[in-house]
Amino acid sequence: MDIRLDGIGHSYGDVEVLKDISLDISSGQIVCIVGPSGCGKSTLLRFLGGLERPKTGEVLQIGSPPEGSLNPLTYVFQDFALLPWRTVKGNVSLVLEGHGLRTDQSSAIIDDVLARTKLTEFADALPKQLSGGMKQRVAIARALAVNPAVMLMDEPLSALDSQTRELLMDDLVDLWSRQPFTAVYVTHNLAEAVRLGHRVVVLSRRPGKIREIVEIDKHLNAREFGDADLDAHQKHLWRLMRDEARAADAELLHA
Amino acid sequence: MIKVNRRGALALMGGTIAGALATPALALNRTVKVGALRFTSHSGNFVAFERGYFAEAGLNVEFKFFQAAQPMAVAIASGDIDYAVTAISGGLINLADKGAIKVIGGALSEEQGIDGQKFLASDAAFKAGVKTPKDLAGKKYAVTQAGSSFHYMGAKMAAAEGIDLSFTPLQKVGTIIGAMKSGQVDGWSIVPHIAKPLAGSGAVHIIGNVADYIPNYQVTTVFTSAKNAANERSMTESFLSGFSKGVDDYTAAMIDGSASKDEMVDLIHKYVYADRPREKAAPSIINGTMRLNAGAALNVASVQDQLSWFQSEGLVKADIPLDALVDTSYVETIDK
Amino acid sequence: MLNKNSNGSGVQKETQGRSVTFRGGGFSPKPRRWIGPVVFLFLIVIAEWGTRAGWISALTMPRPSDVFVTFQQLYESGLLAKHLGPSLSRLVVGAAIGVSIGIGVGVLIGLFSYIRSGMVPLIAAIFPIPKIALLPLFVIWFGIGEGSKYALIAFGTFTPTVVATYGAVDNVDRSLIRMGQSFGLSWWSIVRKIVLPGAMPGILSGLRISLAIAIILLVAAEMLGAEYGIGAYILEAGSLYDLERLFAGVVILSLLGVIVSTLIGLIERYMLDWRS
Repeated sequence: MDIRLDGIGHSYGDVEVLKDISLDISSGQIVCIVGPSGCGKSTLLRFLGGLERPKTGEVLQIGSPPEGSLNPLTYVFQDFALLPWRTVKGNVSLVLEGHGLRTDQSSAIIDDVLARTKLTEFADALPKQLSGGMKQRVAIARALAVNPAVMLMDEPLSALDSQTRELLMDDLVDLWSRQPFTAVYVTHNLAEAVRLGHRVVVLSRRPGKIREIVEIDKHLNAREFGDADLDAHQKHLWRLMRDEARAADAELLHA
Repeated sequence: MIKVNRRGALALMGGTIAGALATPALALNRTVKVGALRFTSHSGNFVAFERGYFAEAGLNVEFKFFQAAQPMAVAIASGDIDYAVTAISGGLINLADKGAIKVIGGALSEEQGIDGQKFLASDAAFKAGVKTPKDLAGKKYAVTQAGSSFHYMGAKMAAAEGIDLSFTPLQKVGTIIGAMKSGQVDGWSIVPHIAKPLAGSGAVHIIGNVADYIPNYQVTTVFTSAKNAANERSMTESFLSGFSKGVDDYTAAMIDGSASKDEMVDLIHKYVYADRPREKAAPSIINGTMRLNAGAALNVASVQDQLSWFQSEGLVKADIPLDALVDTSYVETIDK
Repeated sequence: MLNKNSNGSGVQKETQGRSVTFRGGGFSPKPRRWIGPVVFLFLIVIAEWGTRAGWISALTMPRPSDVFVTFQQLYESGLLAKHLGPSLSRLVVGAAIGVSIGIGVGVLIGLFSYIRSGMVPLIAAIFPIPKIALLPLFVIWFGIGEGSKYALIAFGTFTPTVVATYGAVDNVDRSLIRMGQSFGLSWWSIVRKIVLPGAMPGILSGLRISLAIAIILLVAAEMLGAEYGIGAYILEAGSLYDLERLFAGVVILSLLGVIVSTLIGLIERYMLDWRS
């Protein structure tokens, strides 16, 4: 299933946040969206999953979601959004309840996603017992459990320290390599973007428009921390963004 | 500021002492606080005050008005007021037992031939066949609180008739009247000036007289703090003499007919039903006429009977002697 | 200065050093289990001593040992059960009605704009009404029997429960609700699995207050037409100025309060184990 953004524009009151965004997201690819603060990248992600409606333009699903997808458009949130009163297993089972699955079916799914995210032995732990990185892996497991057509990831690693972030990036790459998934990955961290993105969409400052789309051909598995060609991409992205970011920063100060 | 030299001061003191020796009561000129309810049964106090009998006895009386008898007893115990008139209740006896208060005289009495307190049935109960006090067997009988005079009256009647009552505490007379009118409770007893208008409106029915069950019932008594009774003899005597003169005037006007009833009603109306016009208040005041004991004489036999009943009910300790409650040295006692 | 120090002829360079003055500490009270009972015991001993020695008069305060004897008699005569039974059933029934309606209305206020706008001012208007003042009215509405007593306690527990509940619902992490929506959970699932458990800490701490109010109102509820009950017993003792019984009754109410608070503590420990 592909997703097409067709002329998306939006404003909050008098403030125009997004303008004329058209973009195709094709199956099996990770599309990263970067841009200066306040450029509307998180808003864009909310449009993609139907949590908010754009003022102009349309979000289109092209083709049908894969067989057995319980929730085609599935989010992974920056703050994990785990229910603190449910165990790891319970948090995953939350999103399977109400779909008429048999107990053995849902426990098979739970076992599978916990194994894929290396959480099997923590199945009965409560969120308060987990580190930030573990919590986000639970959230990813939960997202995988519904077999999404597109994962909508809203700065999923921003709440974590830099070491945990590296580890989780490796985990995401592993997951994708074993079973490619489609994802829209919003971040302000350019290292994450060049590491995980097949394509990196650079938004301008408010009102956000597509400034440039950078294609990175290198296979995800082959990318590593400190790769020279990735560094070149990152520098290029930073050049694109630097002035915008500075202007956006100043704008925020004036506002 | 007035300068007083030593000789002047001594002369002043001498004068005072000389006066005190001549007419002990008069020279007191003390301020005493008297607790009162706005009931006709407190008329002795009102008359004595209005006609200057307290002043003649050398007392400067200030009234403190209360809504219920119970807080008045507590106010005597705490020393906030000096004298008051109220019914004997379990609370009063317990306070006396703790050495706080003493009964020193009698006030309101049930007397054959004078309209006294009535047993009432609610309209609903009356229609269901409650025509005499005996018919209240097993019914809800309203009292303010356990150990109140209402409880005593109901229990004495029940004992005489050999029936059981379900005593229902409702705290306030006003609440009881409401509950009687709406038929939430079945029976009650109350002074005639409240009973008669209620019965007249058809909301309740008079089914008996308290006096038939408790002859010579000493309904209310004069009481004071134990300290006053023991240590302030002259002040207490002065109060009782002023009070008795007030009672005499009241009896002469309202019962004996030897003085103007109208004048007396006018006087009482200043205190009782003051919020109603005279012509509406007058019947209530006249209906409320009951015997106030001359000379504040105290029916010790009745007091003993009440004490014994409270003890038998376990409302007060069984070993409280009568003289812990009563100081009989001030007034004549009646023993029947 | 530097020179002097380095050539050693002037002020000697300190090599030993002083330990840095400790400036932290305090401002973090910790539980000291034995202090509470000691305070109680101390006050009781003072009262016993005072009433025995006579510098506390019998009118001011009863002797603690007499209160204990009164309590014992109450227990042995079987009157305790006779008084406690009706009171407990009034408490349980009244509080159960008030709390369950309160939680229901509180959740509705927390979830629906129209109900919130309609009910919040109403709740604010009835919260400060002393419920005792309405007792005569309740007697007319619900009769002088158990109905008016249940109603008074239910009404008294209702308002604080509503306020605590909708506050708790408001405080449920919105990102969790958004998560539930993003996974396509039904409205009812979100309420049942996210809103209610998330509001539970606030609801339970509100329950502490509501149930304390229920105990307070027990005495008021038993003012009218109650022959038996702890409240009736206390009122009777008060009108008889029987301090021993009065205190025995008050001690029973205090114990009830402690028991209720302990129970809620246990429920909290069991149900809110997930809180960090």
